[in-house]
Amino acid sequence: MLQFSKFVAIRASLAILTLILVSFIVFTLMELVPGDCAERYVAFKNSQGAVISIADIEAERIRLGLNKPYVQRWGVWIINAFQGEFGDSCILRLNISQLLGQKFWLSLGLCLTSLMVAYIIAIPVGIISATSNNRVLNNSLRLVSYLGLALPNFLLALMVMLFSTIMFGDSLTGLFSKEFRDAEWSYERVMDFLGHAWLPIFILGWSATAFAIQTVRALMSDEIGKLYVTAAAARGVSGSQLLMRYPARHALSPIINSLGFDLNRIFNELPIVALILTLTEAGSLLIEALARSNDQQLAGAIIFMLTGSIVAINFLTDIILALTDPRVRRSIVG
Amino acid sequence: MNDMTDTSNNPASTDQKLKEAYFTASQGQLIWQRFKKNKSALFGAWVLIILILSGIFAPFLTPYDATISGRDKDYLNGAPQIPSFCDDNGCSLRPFIYTSERTRSIETSFRWVTIVNTELEGRRYLEFFVEGSEYTYLSFDINLPGEALDFRIPGFTFNTHLFGVDKGMIHIFGTDSTGKDIYSRTLTAINTSMAVGTIGVFIAFIMALVIGGISGYYGGFLDSSLQMITDTVRTIPSIPLFMALAAFIPDVWSAETRFLFISMVLGLIGWPTLARRIRTHLLTERSQEYVLAAQLCGASSSHVIRRHLLPSFTSYIIVDLVISFPYMVLSETALSFIGLGLKDPVNSLGVMLQNVTSADVLLNYQWYFIPVIFFITLVLAFVFVGDGLRDAADPYSDSHK
Repeated sequence: MLQFSKFVAIRASLAILTLILVSFIVFTLMELVPGDCAERYVAFKNSQGAVISIADIEAERIRLGLNKPYVQRWGVWIINAFQGEFGDSCILRLNISQLLGQKFWLSLGLCLTSLMVAYIIAIPVGIISATSNNRVLNNSLRLVSYLGLALPNFLLALMVMLFSTIMFGDSLTGLFSKEFRDAEWSYERVMDFLGHAWLPIFILGWSATAFAIQTVRALMSDEIGKLYVTAAAARGVSGSQLLMRYPARHALSPIINSLGFDLNRIFNELPIVALILTLTEAGSLLIEALARSNDQQLAGAIIFMLTGSIVAINFLTDIILALTDPRVRRSIVG
Repeated sequence: MNDMTDTSNNPASTDQKLKEAYFTASQGQLIWQRFKKNKSALFGAWVLIILILSGIFAPFLTPYDATISGRDKDYLNGAPQIPSFCDDNGCSLRPFIYTSERTRSIETSFRWVTIVNTELEGRRYLEFFVEGSEYTYLSFDINLPGEALDFRIPGFTFNTHLFGVDKGMIHIFGTDSTGKDIYSRTLTAINTSMAVGTIGVFIAFIMALVIGGISGYYGGFLDSSLQMITDTVRTIPSIPLFMALAAFIPDVWSAETRFLFISMVLGLIGWPTLARRIRTHLLTERSQEYVLAAQLCGASSSHVIRRHLLPSFTSYIIVDLVISFPYMVLSETALSFIGLGLKDPVNSLGVMLQNVTSADVLLNYQWYFIPVIFFITLVLAFVFVGDGLRDAADPYSDSHK
């Protein structure tokens, strides 16, 4: 127990250290963009007809705290970021956490669901393909996993749109029907959401599923050839019991370990898929922030929160691994 | 690798000559032997070579310039024109297409209407090796500071194209909304993607070699802190990070500068996975017996690195580079697609797909999607070759042949 809490403590401090490094990268990127908040704000006022001088920009800088040294501002930003507070967006002049709030959780929910769906499909399919000698099945699965790389999610989304437009005359885009877009959450809205969400979930999970099938298959076929499986079979264990109790348990740890990277892969696809399928959530907000309005505060907040979720998933999977596998605990604590 | 410790006790029952050939073969020969046996990888390699060559010879293989100067102003959003031999007016030995004309008059209520002339005089006959727009190879302009240092290599200028028609223009993949030939653009885009991938992979490789090399060779505290940084960069989703970096590009930059910057950004973000592989490999190889043997023989550490460590993993590095290539190409496509990557005069798949999500294109102009087929083929070919190389890169893994 003591060993376990020590492991959790070490892992948690590592996660926080990672987040601090991430925040440094993100904050530096935000700072490197030409033009700061004060200039933008004043430029906006200028466009409204006010006459602006250099002194006004300086005054605005002092008001926003932009005259303080870099490290200090980074410190303030990260302390606020850990409390879920990202200040105001310069362009929209709105509070970022309010702007993001629900949209971020919606995106995270979508991504986590796709991750879950990906593994619900990948684990049984991977195990079956590793154990069966069916050539047709194995080759078609191989093709699917190759396509998972060659047909990235956004091209898949385009293809699905193309075919659904030709076949059904509807491009299947959006997350809500028109009448529910800004409505309060209700039973009907949830149903409407689920009716629309299956396609983005499938498309977001597409690459991850293909990769996960490959991983599960490779791990299982590695383990199946090992001596302990033969020994168990010699003792009379057979069928699915043999698979589940011996090689599957061994293969499970690397699979849990890869969850974080698969979530990363899904996040990668999120903005572009969001743009194609016109999903109104954090992904499209990120595109909006970067491609259209150059809103670095908003973009930084989104990237930080996405990375934060990955770090959290990695932390959780490590804890789960440590709970199930004593070797992992020992490897870090020593 | 001259070292045979792993395989010398292999109970080979094949005849002596074959065995000798096997043991004296260089690593490259062994990899090639194994690669040749993998049918799908070999097929992928052929497809890849054909695609790359058609990208390089795109100006010759395509009838028109891929930029706006090669546009056909009489055939905007035009459907693919497939040459045929026969029609109602009889057959011809030379394949032909029809002339399309855009007209606007009182009969069409002053809207632009495309009329296809299917009469005999509307036929455009296909011709080979026609003269067309000029293109140059091996031409460089070098602008060093100072007038005297500027020099120009004129290169070779050609104006022959593989095919064309006797009058007007031919568009076998159709045209886009500005009348640019999609076939010409597709082949040039392959070139662009290859160039972006090459620059990106090269930069990623240099960074990975330096960082992974330091980390794996020195170990200890330096290794842990470098690993921490590598892992952190790996944790950040790369496409959003690309987007943030690409947003720095000022609007005034030319398309060529943009292209260089985007390729560099791809490389700057793509290094962590490679660096990790190099580090892991160095760490495991460093404690191998053949390294110890070399050290005991009195070899200096630079000799060990040059003669033993580097050759032991060059094949792995090449494989990793090939495998990471499609990721670079796809990232560039994704970036350009959302409008943060390359811009118009430079052609790439992402640029070509920029406007396809509109209902108009989806319903009426499906030939916009033809380039996608080429790119899926390109990436698949890379994946097959990469996989085949990965399997072949360890020549001693199944030495029981």
